[in-house]
Amino acid sequence: MLTESEMLRYSRHLLLEDVGELGQKDLKNGKVLIIGMGGLGSPAAMYLAGAGVGSLVLCDFDCLEVSNLQRQIGYQTGDIGGDKVELMKHRLEMINPEIRVRSINQEMAEDQLLMELMMVNLVLDCTDNMASRQMINAACVKAKVPLIVGAAIRLEGQLMFFDHRQADSACYHCLFPNSDEQALNCSNSGVLGPVVGTIGTMQALEAIKHLVGLPSGVKNKLKLFDGKTLDWQTFAVKKDSECSVCGKNR
Amino acid sequence: MNIFVNEQALEVAPDCNIEELLEVLDKPLQGTAVAVNQNILSRSLWGDYFLQEGDQISLFQAIAGG
Repeated sequence: MLTESEMLRYSRHLLLEDVGELGQKDLKNGKVLIIGMGGLGSPAAMYLAGAGVGSLVLCDFDCLEVSNLQRQIGYQTGDIGGDKVELMKHRLEMINPEIRVRSINQEMAEDQLLMELMMVNLVLDCTDNMASRQMINAACVKAKVPLIVGAAIRLEGQLMFFDHRQADSACYHCLFPNSDEQALNCSNSGVLGPVVGTIGTMQALEAIKHLVGLPSGVKNKLKLFDGKTLDWQTFAVKKDSECSVCGKNR
Repeated sequence: MNIFVNEQALEVAPDCNIEELLEVLDKPLQGTAVAVNQNILSRSLWGDYFLQEGDQISLFQAIAGG
């Protein structure tokens, strides 16, 4: 049952046929790990907190820098120098005191990540580097936890959703094997705030839909967002049977 | 034979596979993803897929930023 204050807080969800009281309870029971509290993680975490996702685990190990504020909308100038996860935890608790927020203020090794994955139903990859992305993907494949991946640089965004509970799901490594060397990031390429914000927002949207049981438009798909034309391109991603992470040779 | 690469028309030799196409275009093999007619083609199949007349090829890089 939702409490009276929850009924009031989530009244705009309760009006939706696709959410309603049952969906809101699903959100309340949702446990989501968000890795990376930058330009993707800021809107993703704030929307999920606002939506009433009952348990959020935030992971990052960076301190806030002035150059983050152009796009990382969860923070303020007075926050510079603070730990991002602690700042965001406070921010989310201010948005919605009805949820539980836990922070992990360090870079997780694979064994710690696997432990954390036992306690969540969904992971959002909001990181800024290829090594973390490959590691998170491999751990989610191993733990069979659904993974929503966002990425952005310049005026381009990428969004994909791999439901690792399904044996025939593709994975991030099927799409981008051996990509460590070439990967572009915000520090070496630049990025517009609303572009990374759009992708983080889409991760939150897909997360909410997943938790309330709505079908996803991006499972086993890659969506490319072009911030110049506002066009989205969609590509089907099939499991690569030769994939060293999820295929037969793992 | 005519194909499209990122929406630009391109003439290629017959019996050209994806690996050869990337060499012709001087694109790095690492970190590049390839889609043929909106379907991602796994890296392990690049040598096996021979381009067909009118194929829409999309090439893009993995991006890591966030």
